[in-house]
Amino acid sequence: MSPTTTPVRDQGPPGPALTPDGSTGSGVNGRPDRRPPAAAPPRARLRALLVRHRAGRRVLPLAVVAVVLVPVAVLLPGAAAWPASLAVDLSGPLGRAGDWIIDNRDHHPLFLYFFGHVSNAVVVSVRAVYVVLLAAGWAGVTALAGLVALRLAGVRLALTCVAAFAACGLLGMWVPTMQTLALMVVAVAASVVLGALLGLAAGMSDRADRALRPVLDTMQVLPAFAYLLPMVLVFGIGVPAAVLATVVYAAPPMARLTALGLREADAGVLEAAASLGATGRQRLLTARIPLARRQLMLGVNQAVMMALSMAVIASVIGAGGLGDRVYQALASVDVGAALAAGIPIVLLAVVLDRTADAAGDRLGAAPLPPSQRRLLGRVFAGGYGWLLTVLAAVAVAAGGRMADSSLWPGSWTLPIAEPVNRAVAWMTDHLYTGVPVVGGTADWAARFTGWVLDPLRSGLQATPWWLLLALVGALGLLAGTWRTALTAVLALAAIGVLGVWVPSLDTLSQVLAAVAVTLVLGFAVAVGAARSARAQRLLRPVLDVCQTMPQFVYLIPVVALFGVGRAPAAAAAVVYALPVVVRITTEGLRAVDPAALESTRSLGATGTQQLRHVQLPLARPALLLAVNQAVVLVLAVVIIGGLVGGGALGYDVVLGLAQGDLATGLVAGAAIVCLGLVLDRVTQPAKEA
Amino acid sequence: MNAPSTGTAAVPGTDSPVFAVDGLWKVFGPRRKAVRIPESEYASLPAAELREQTGCTAAVRDVTFDVRKGEVFVVMGLSGSGKSTLVRCMTRLIEPTAGSLSIDGEDVLAMDAARLRELRRHRAAMVFQHFGLLPHRTVLDNVAYGLEIQGVSRIDRRAKAAEMVAKVGLEGLEERRPGQLSGGQQQRVGLARALAADPEVLLFDEPFSALDPLIRREMQDEVARLHHEEGRTMVFITHDLTEALRLGDRIALMRDGKIVQLGTPEEIVGSPADDYVRDFVRDVPREQVITVRSAMRPAVAGEAEHGPALAPAATVVEAIEAVARCGGPARVVDRGRCLGVVDDAGLLAVVAGLPTPDGRGVAA
Repeated sequence: MSPTTTPVRDQGPPGPALTPDGSTGSGVNGRPDRRPPAAAPPRARLRALLVRHRAGRRVLPLAVVAVVLVPVAVLLPGAAAWPASLAVDLSGPLGRAGDWIIDNRDHHPLFLYFFGHVSNAVVVSVRAVYVVLLAAGWAGVTALAGLVALRLAGVRLALTCVAAFAACGLLGMWVPTMQTLALMVVAVAASVVLGALLGLAAGMSDRADRALRPVLDTMQVLPAFAYLLPMVLVFGIGVPAAVLATVVYAAPPMARLTALGLREADAGVLEAAASLGATGRQRLLTARIPLARRQLMLGVNQAVMMALSMAVIASVIGAGGLGDRVYQALASVDVGAALAAGIPIVLLAVVLDRTADAAGDRLGAAPLPPSQRRLLGRVFAGGYGWLLTVLAAVAVAAGGRMADSSLWPGSWTLPIAEPVNRAVAWMTDHLYTGVPVVGGTADWAARFTGWVLDPLRSGLQATPWWLLLALVGALGLLAGTWRTALTAVLALAAIGVLGVWVPSLDTLSQVLAAVAVTLVLGFAVAVGAARSARAQRLLRPVLDVCQTMPQFVYLIPVVALFGVGRAPAAAAAVVYALPVVVRITTEGLRAVDPAALESTRSLGATGTQQLRHVQLPLARPALLLAVNQAVVLVLAVVIIGGLVGGGALGYDVVLGLAQGDLATGLVAGAAIVCLGLVLDRVTQPAKEA
Repeated sequence: MNAPSTGTAAVPGTDSPVFAVDGLWKVFGPRRKAVRIPESEYASLPAAELREQTGCTAAVRDVTFDVRKGEVFVVMGLSGSGKSTLVRCMTRLIEPTAGSLSIDGEDVLAMDAARLRELRRHRAAMVFQHFGLLPHRTVLDNVAYGLEIQGVSRIDRRAKAAEMVAKVGLEGLEERRPGQLSGGQQQRVGLARALAADPEVLLFDEPFSALDPLIRREMQDEVARLHHEEGRTMVFITHDLTEALRLGDRIALMRDGKIVQLGTPEEIVGSPADDYVRDFVRDVPREQVITVRSAMRPAVAGEAEHGPALAPAATVVEAIEAVARCGGPARVVDRGRCLGVVDDAGLLAVVAGLPTPDGRGVAA
């Protein structure tokens, strides 16, 4: 019957009466076409061209502005930094507010009846989980982790899981690992519940979505460090602040993905459910939520990874556990000890990510029929499998208790700090300087600082403040709408008003340098990888691991190689952001329509021509996204770099925390938020209006 | 009704209709504006002008028809003609803007939410173009989904679902997920799900458009078989003329939201109401649709006794075969009475599209 599927269109000359309707009909009915006629006068054509290309329309006024402003800037030297008269000194009021909170924490009703309860609940639940973990003993915890992994993902991941926990014990990090784990369990549970509720609201109601979306969007671009201080202000340094900072940091992705999943649920299925007479609640529970389960699982996965990342960083505000060990070790530049605590973090990250991933994949796949399952899979299948899993773990834990070894036996540890430190010392002696031809790593760091970071910093700081504002505004206009530009300019002005103009520009210089390096390296690697399937195969596992690692961990190898200072902070940022840039760019390049590439090839284009004329232009959205992500990620790590001598805003935050000088820290934190906003807005991948 | 209708005279109204649709409108657009359009001077504007002047789109315009008990009523039209909107209006998946609509004499538009759910659960079930199956459930649970919504116990609904799965020929696939099935199999699941509720009317929204031609044919046969076995009333939406002619007892041809012609396949092909319909059916092999009833002439002396006998509903193709075989005219016999004869001249006239002996034009 295919010949008659569209009987009319194939027959004869279709007169106006034959046009089906809609699109073609409108043209026939004499509606004027929106495109300018081909024979328009040249001036109109030019204007049409400018209007049609957003970039063209925007560049014109910008060019005019630049031509006017730059000479003025040169003629008016001296007024570079933000004028003191326009700044507001907040240290007094903030300090007083901080003092007030500290004074009233114990008896003001707000703290007594709200924050106090929240804080207690957090402490109690973390304690409870911690006690359970310790009571289960190393044998019980390892067995439970292994069995859950087995249930979700199969034997290989189960073995990886067991090996990872064993490694934590071997490195002598059992107790800190359990501390981190306990904190994470509570934080993840809370952020998943919170995120799911917010996501449900945003997924079901357009109004809630409109209200929540900008907030969630903004929260996602803010560096983790910015979340710490407000929590400390209210809860004081300690576990409650750490857990709540983690919850606030990890909930947005869950909320976003939940809302996305609910909104994207197949409309056809929902309609079918309605046609069968389902009530609103039935539709939500039996169709909409199950249809969104992949996104929900992805949200949980993201929440877990973000929580781990934050739980480690939150060591700065008293989270304890693995992050604290890294933090203490980095503070005394003890790379060996930092590594001993860093490895368990990485292992935890990898295991958690893989398990959550496998759980997500399992949701989509149909279960194998029993005959095709292996023995272990068959034993643990079905609803009883979970019960069996828990029972087996309890049995192992009980066995461990009876053998009286709930803590990891001290004789089984393998102290790596000492040999690692020896290796680092050797590196310091032999690789830092004086390596023939290439120079030493410290030389590189010094050169990067001297030739790139310093000129950039002094350049930025010498630029008049109003020119920077204008520049940011122009970039914002170029990237998005006037609203984007306004947000960016206001955020930058807020930095000036806060009185942290100079350190912020210091941070900015590090970010810009690191982003430039990241993009050059990332695009180069991606272009190479996009061309060769083998390179991609090799790259993928590396990228996978890199992307799961918490930001904090990247500081360890960088400190080992480059010592402390601004260059290592930038280097850590580059290493952290590089995998994401490579991945987004590679995927963008590979997603280019093969037909377009083929047609270029058939015209005899060279590889470079294909790249320049087809791949790069078509992958533009991916490239812009890569730039945006690079900026956001680099900023996050550059700030954390304050812990290893990066100075600037990150250092202010750390200093504020360390000395209880909340005013300094809060102002720096606010500046970080503003800087994050500025950087995100001016690199926003343009949304087609 | 402002659309010409020739079909109602052909089959005398026997039962009360299952669905009675009268002057139904669906106008998409800002609600306040949309409800005023059916009564306003805009009502007769062409689609594009209406959109330009009011910002509203009239998907269904003043549509009137009855669906009789036990018939397959086909609504046919090209994409954008409003047929899918129309079928959704019938169970108020899309809320109609104006007009009246009743099922078994009960006003559908006046139903409250609970009564409407009752209608959807028990009286009218729908089969969708893109199946609308729940990807995370097995075939059996998908078929049982409608019963689950009704609150049928797990054992009962699974038993009923298993029966339906067998009825549509999917035995052995009960534990598969929709993603593991072919398009045809998925639509069988959709069909079984609709049948499971034992509805009075089945509504099909282009159910086979997403399938490839061979499977489509197979599924049409399946629907024909089900209709033959159970005699369930069906409303069938399609853009495929062949499908409409094959399945439909009566066909409503829609264009720009209006019914241009409503009649039996033979009436649509044999006497198109206007040029649009004529163009539409131009390529249809007439001899396969037109019956001998419209190709016969009165018998003259002796012809009423001799020659092969044909039923009045036999198609011209069958008559050609009979005539060619015996070399003379064939008789058209209804319950032992000779209504007339068909000869080669009359049959060739049908194939060629010339006026038939009774004077009606077959085609332009």
